[in-house]
Amino acid sequence: MIEARELSKRYGELRAVDEVSFTVERGEVVGFLGPNGAGKTTTMRMITGFLPPSDGTAVIDGADIFAQPLDARRAVGYLPETPPVYPEMDVSGYLRFVASLHDVPRRERREAVDRAIERCGLSEVRRRVIGQLSKGYKQRVGIAQAIVHSPPVLVLDEPTVGLDPIQIGEIRQLISELASPRDGESAHTVILSTHILPEVEAICRRVILINRGRKVLDQPLAELTAGGTRLEEVFARETSRDEAPAGEASA
Amino acid sequence: MRHVGTIAGREIRSLFVSPVAYVVLTLWAVLGAVFFLSSLAQFLEGIARLQQFRAFDQLREVNLNHDLIEPFFGTMWILFIFSIPAVTMGLFTSEKQNRTEELLLTSPVTIWEIVIGKYLAVAAFVTLLVGLVAFFPGLLFVYGDPELGRTLTGLLGLFLVSLTYAAIGSFASSITSNQIIAFFIGLVILMVSLILPLAAELGAASGFLGSENLMADLLRWMATAEHVQPLLEGLVDTRNLVYFAVMAGSFLLLTKAAVESVRWR
Repeated sequence: MIEARELSKRYGELRAVDEVSFTVERGEVVGFLGPNGAGKTTTMRMITGFLPPSDGTAVIDGADIFAQPLDARRAVGYLPETPPVYPEMDVSGYLRFVASLHDVPRRERREAVDRAIERCGLSEVRRRVIGQLSKGYKQRVGIAQAIVHSPPVLVLDEPTVGLDPIQIGEIRQLISELASPRDGESAHTVILSTHILPEVEAICRRVILINRGRKVLDQPLAELTAGGTRLEEVFARETSRDEAPAGEASA
Repeated sequence: MRHVGTIAGREIRSLFVSPVAYVVLTLWAVLGAVFFLSSLAQFLEGIARLQQFRAFDQLREVNLNHDLIEPFFGTMWILFIFSIPAVTMGLFTSEKQNRTEELLLTSPVTIWEIVIGKYLAVAAFVTLLVGLVAFFPGLLFVYGDPELGRTLTGLLGLFLVSLTYAAIGSFASSITSNQIIAFFIGLVILMVSLILPLAAELGAASGFLGSENLMADLLRWMATAEHVQPLLEGLVDTRNLVYFAVMAGSFLLLTKAAVESVRWR
């Protein structure tokens, strides 16, 4: 579903992302881990087509991000670090706008918007202006805009950052449901970036760890935590390896 | 190009929930009225003076278009220099501030669709401004008989110059993430386009631009006034129409490049 081939992003001498390759199969939920500034956001921006890689490429649902950029982007639902919402629009108007940007046919648009609203628990606020919503609701609107066109691939960049514990629980629940939905809905392939480890343990089945722009680990969660090893220990071990002088890429 | 409508529609709606649109429209209507009345007062004063001196020959020459409508249009054209950057300043800066740029650029939408969609929204608003200007000479048609063709040509001139300014304003908005800065960049570019002939004369006179005067000619050609004035006076010349198309087109091209540059920085 997602195939990253030696993705690199250089800013002058700085290698923000350095030959990162991985594959994510349909219906998988992968945790994309790394310390702040490891290159998580940059990698996601390359997969979603916001930034072109300096080297390498990615194939999303059979579409190469260079050769068929529009098809590749159509296959992705993306929640950036800050939900990309227009504060002056109301929730359903905004979702209709996003649906039409993503080529949801006019006839199906209302249904798509209703479905996204229902799944993200936004029914009570659908007529409210986004700028007046709480942070938790804005985040949900961000997720709703990522799933409104039912993309096969979901890319979520720190979806729970800055939320209160109850909201975090709700968002995690929502992401789990998106990956293994009820009958009649297709499963999303999810890449989730975070540096909150319990989040990974709660929803991901596989972990990709990057540090200083390089992939250092790519394993099923079950294997990593086999024998009672805690994810914190793995994280600490992998990110402290070959401790070099600072020069972190800002993500 | 099928997303153009989507983007233009959203932009227009968001323009009309922002105070900027209403402030500009109100000011525009008020200033239009003020300057129309002052043009009218000057016109009447001129007639009174001619009557006082019994200059009947000159009195016969007095023309509503030449002596009232054209000065009024000229003033409104100068006011476009201030009002249009205010309309366009949020066009791209707000996308950067809301972080919605990331939504647009990761959607299956081309950059041209974004730029043209937004430009069409401003063009619609600017049409409204020209419509407000048209209201005042419209009054003259009720009480007098100005020439229709000449008046419409003047309005066409205002419309074209405002579309060109809108493209320049869009560009100003695309190269910064701060609305106020976008406003001033737009204002400065438009003012420079006004004083270009002066710069050309100075450059040519001092020999700074070389002996060929190619630069001076180019600067003179780029100045807006030379191309607006004939239209305001009722003269449609293809060369002037080409000027507006070239200017608007180039600035839209620059806007597209500026929006795209996020990807390559």
